[in-house]
Amino acid sequence: MLQPEHHHDDSPPVVGILAEFDGPVTLKAAATGLRQVGYAKFEAYSPYPVHGLYEVMGRKRTTLPRLVLAGGITGCLVALLLQWWTNAIDYPYWISGKPLFSLPANIPITFELLILLGALAAFGGVMVFCNLPQLYHPIFGCVKFRQSSTDTFFLAVDADDPRFDETATADLLRSLGAESSELYRQPRTVKRIPGMIPATAALVAALALLPPLWIAQVRYARKTSPRIHPILDMDFQPKYLPQQYSPLFKDTRDMRPRVAGAVSVDAIIGHVHLLRGEVDSPPADTFPMPVTSEMMLRGRRRYDIFCTTCHGLAGDGDGITSQLAFEREEPKWVKPLSLHDQPVLGQPVGQLYQTITHGIRTMPSYRSQIPVEDRWAIVLYVRALQRSRNATMDDVPGELKKHLKSIEQSDAGIPNAKP
Amino acid sequence: MPEYPTPNLDNDQVRLVGLPRGTSGVLMLIGLVALAIAVALGWRRDDQLRAFSASYLVNYTFFLSIALGALFFVALQHLVRAGWSVTVRRSAEILATGVVYLAVLFLPILAIMLLGWTSPYFKWLDPQTIADSHLAREKLVYLNLPFFTVRAVFYFLVWGLLARFFFKQSTSQDTSGDPMLTRHMEKAAPVAMILFGLTITFASFDWLMSLEPAWFSTIFGVYFFAGAVVGALAALILLALALQAGGVVRRAITVEHYHDLGKLLLGFVVFWGYIAFSQYMLVWYANIPEETVWYLARQTGPWTWVSVGLLFGHLLIPFLGLLPRVVKRRKMLLGVWATWMLVAHWVDIYWLVMPTFAPRHLPFGLLDICCLAAVGCMFFAGVIRTARRCALIPLKDPRLGESLTFENF
Amino acid sequence: MSILPLDDNMTQEPTRRARLVVGPADAASITETVCAITERPRPPAAWYAAFAMSAAATGMLFAAIGYLIATGVGVLGNNSPVFWAWPIVNFVFWIGIGHAGTLISAILFLFRQRWRTGINRFAEAMTVFAVACAGIFPAVHVGRVWVVYWLAPYPNQMGVWPNFRSPLLWDVVAISTYGTVSVLFWYLGMIPDLATLRDRAISWWRRIVYGLFALGWRGSAAQWHRFEWAYLLLAALATPLVLSVHSVVSFDFAVSQLPGWHSTIFPPYFVAGAIFSGCAMVVTLAVPARSLFGLKSLITMRHLDNMNRLILGTSLLVAYAYLIELFMAWYGGNQYEAFAQLNRALGPYAWAYWLMVACNVLAPQLFWFPKCRTTPWLMWVIAVLVNVGMWLERFVIIVASLGRDFLPSSWGMFRPTAVDVMMLAGSFGLFCTLFLLFCRYLPMVAMAEVKGVVPPHLGSNGVQ
Repeated sequence: MLQPEHHHDDSPPVVGILAEFDGPVTLKAAATGLRQVGYAKFEAYSPYPVHGLYEVMGRKRTTLPRLVLAGGITGCLVALLLQWWTNAIDYPYWISGKPLFSLPANIPITFELLILLGALAAFGGVMVFCNLPQLYHPIFGCVKFRQSSTDTFFLAVDADDPRFDETATADLLRSLGAESSELYRQPRTVKRIPGMIPATAALVAALALLPPLWIAQVRYARKTSPRIHPILDMDFQPKYLPQQYSPLFKDTRDMRPRVAGAVSVDAIIGHVHLLRGEVDSPPADTFPMPVTSEMMLRGRRRYDIFCTTCHGLAGDGDGITSQLAFEREEPKWVKPLSLHDQPVLGQPVGQLYQTITHGIRTMPSYRSQIPVEDRWAIVLYVRALQRSRNATMDDVPGELKKHLKSIEQSDAGIPNAKP
Repeated sequence: MPEYPTPNLDNDQVRLVGLPRGTSGVLMLIGLVALAIAVALGWRRDDQLRAFSASYLVNYTFFLSIALGALFFVALQHLVRAGWSVTVRRSAEILATGVVYLAVLFLPILAIMLLGWTSPYFKWLDPQTIADSHLAREKLVYLNLPFFTVRAVFYFLVWGLLARFFFKQSTSQDTSGDPMLTRHMEKAAPVAMILFGLTITFASFDWLMSLEPAWFSTIFGVYFFAGAVVGALAALILLALALQAGGVVRRAITVEHYHDLGKLLLGFVVFWGYIAFSQYMLVWYANIPEETVWYLARQTGPWTWVSVGLLFGHLLIPFLGLLPRVVKRRKMLLGVWATWMLVAHWVDIYWLVMPTFAPRHLPFGLLDICCLAAVGCMFFAGVIRTARRCALIPLKDPRLGESLTFENF
Repeated sequence: MSILPLDDNMTQEPTRRARLVVGPADAASITETVCAITERPRPPAAWYAAFAMSAAATGMLFAAIGYLIATGVGVLGNNSPVFWAWPIVNFVFWIGIGHAGTLISAILFLFRQRWRTGINRFAEAMTVFAVACAGIFPAVHVGRVWVVYWLAPYPNQMGVWPNFRSPLLWDVVAISTYGTVSVLFWYLGMIPDLATLRDRAISWWRRIVYGLFALGWRGSAAQWHRFEWAYLLLAALATPLVLSVHSVVSFDFAVSQLPGWHSTIFPPYFVAGAIFSGCAMVVTLAVPARSLFGLKSLITMRHLDNMNRLILGTSLLVAYAYLIELFMAWYGGNQYEAFAQLNRALGPYAWAYWLMVACNVLAPQLFWFPKCRTTPWLMWVIAVLVNVGMWLERFVIIVASLGRDFLPSSWGMFRPTAVDVMMLAGSFGLFCTLFLLFCRYLPMVAMAEVKGVVPPHLGSNGVQ
């Protein structure tokens, strides 16, 4: 049976024998027969899937399901990790009172990624396992084979099979019900891809690496100039700057003159102490209203809303904005002043009020966000914060003093800061 | 050529034999004794039959859901003209007729409500709740005893008629072999589905959702339906296993039927999870107090663990367990998972009902076992009585051959 | 044993299964019927006419989008209080249309409904095109569309991440997953048929183009084995996916506290509605396509009959949801919810509501009658009405609820602008353009699958 391949004339080497069958039943029977005789390297071709054919050929069931399961599990884990790290660790922010890592709200994306990676695994897996894309195969050389995708069934026995013999195998196939059979060979001439194409492709691929590398370099380099950003909307905003042309008005000025009869806010004569924080022109040393515990509580809430982002909860100038700015090495950021050091410590309340109202240095004015009474309440709370750092035992009320002493004696660590 | 292969059942035993003659009677007796013990155990001086009422409602709903799920299964097979399911359909038809006996077993609930043998069964019967809660007061037009009773009678009438209709038609085909009977059932199936869908929805509103009169959820009917189908499929699998273990229908039900039932069970486990998640997520996310109160009760104290248990025991674990092909094709393994699902379904019903009656603790004990035995024994006494009177597969169903020969991919 | 005529597969007799293909069909004739559509030198004149119209409408769509991007979202009718207006209605509508393809190709596949083979390919194509149309609307109405990539989670110099707890981001992930999986599923199923077109190709460029897309498919037993597994697995993944996608779309509304939006039944209700509208669109396209391209033997009257039954069934599911919502609005005792429902039925958008009820609930009831399920022009009219009704449903949900919220002082009406209308009409143009191109250049029927259900050893009339 084993014979060296003959090279009659100068035909290219034989790849195998292609035998035609009239239907799925005969095809399956022939495949069974071939396998019984002992052939291993043969393949069956059909225009549609024939059930049980693959099994009678004695091939192993595909591992695709396990691959898809692995893809699904990966998708699930990746999604959970991504959502946890981005929303709860790297950039935590509170949304409608939900926990930072809130599973019910994380399920939809986890589910979608599970499906997506599972599906990609299924598609990628079938491509890899089927050796696709494989645009050329010697069997395409047979003109007859073109019928296989329409309505014809084929068996192809590989010449590599140890039992292969040009005549004996053909006879066997015929005895198994083949209607006809023919040898198919390597193509006579193989068109090779010109060497320039892969070289160019490699060059393009190498060049394509440059932009991402450049981006990475720019992103991580330390510079004093502002970062490069592709979207310039914020640099060139469609807005009017002072002293510019505007087609909207007859006089083509974008700055509008005062409306006739309008009164400047500065001109309003009112409660100077309350509105300006002044008593006889220097900043006031007293509050313009009676100080109450409600006012203190109000001040604390307003402070927590408006001031903590920069000044920090305790007024040390370590708010989240400031922390982030330092972390990211913002070149223009100046640390907010601590409220517990000079000069703030020594400033009269009226001056603190004026600072909130008008802003100072890089701190903006808050007069439009915070009503007058609330500004004073904040000042009161700031005073309380300052006092808390510089208090003596005499400042503590009687019953709490006892409590503090007992803590000190038992040395139980940090006392519970109960108001 | 266009016909199906001829059915070949070769001396397969298709009648319920092997059970002694008086099984139904004995079960009935056990059921009555269990009921009596349950009443005795559940009696308290201060709130009379309250503990019993709660436990009875859980177990009653459990068996009702199985019967209703089976009714849905039967109607569905006719609606889509299924061929594969013919040999398991009769079991479902017999289970569905059990709803007639369950109608009788509903009487204790009605009696307790009417006679007031408890502090109110449903909170909307309690004048104090009505006085305190504006939302409960709004609902009195719908939630009142006469209308409640009328609706219950209507539900049972619909279910009883549908179950009897499918059972009668199917069994008469066993003798006549008339294929047009199949056609009749197919024509009735869509109407049956509409009636079924509406009745099971409103029954779940009446008997489960209205336990908390202030609370409402539009998906609740679908939730109960999903659980009911899970219960019924698990019961059908176990029933088939039990019948085959008893030497009946050994050839008629093949591994392919188990495989398909297993796939459907897996599908409905996921469907239940989908519905349960939809309800929970929307209530949790919107965070409206009048809705979250229902889940709050189920996330407080020991109930938290029941909720978490449901997430794992009714969804995640059985999903992974039922996923491999091999599990659905091995009788023992599938039997284990069907039992698991049946238990999980019971816990689901328990979780729906009990937190209203016992918000702070898990009142599980002998009382629940007695109630389970009481309803279960009486339900099965009736079901066995029905099963004795007919063959256990539709002998002359035109698609019997298809059902016996189909293979899964 | 009576033998039915070859061209009738409408039997309702329980003793036999109807043919899936009518006429004397075998593998060769099926191949010929399907491939001839793409191989004939010229498509029918009607194709040219339809293509010219839809290409013009597509041009209008892109012109409108260009104008919108150049000018700003102010050219749309979105304004206080109805900020989620026309574009979101269109988005939900198109996504819904895109659900039938996966239903037919994946869910019916898992349920062993082999009649699906006749229509699954073009239903899948329809899905892909509908998802493409849907994706346009949220993308272009975000405002600065050129920074739409900010939705993606990538490490950026702003140091921020998208909020994964927001339903809008779930939407982005769900829709892109759905689009990807639909394309993969569609393409995978098409590979063997592309190989058929490659093998039949006479001209050089057809062989190269179809050859490239067929990836060298040979139809070996090993390839078929893996192909079938991959197809089954993709179907098993696509089934829960299709449920999740419209559920996630419904979450956009239902996680809010707005009356008329916050309802726990929304996820399954939206899914049922999506499949309902998608099936209607399948019928809308199948009725003309099968007669125009001579596919009546493959897309038989029984296929249409089955689709119409599906439309009827899903119509009843949608009606169930309407009913439960109304009941709960009354039973729930929440005055805002009750008002929202009453406002739909009796408020300023009552016309839309009642038109919706007529189209979605009443019109499909005609499908109880076999005559209506099998008369092409009639089922086409009903299917179009369902499409209209389902668009109106989203309009009613979105606009009527937003226009009348808790505070009467913030009530308002929505008025679409010309750009709105042009974009809706244009999206139909894009959809039809893509669909017409698909009909002309790709195999419209899954040949390999149909051949598999017409096994030659059972005789040439393919009964099983």
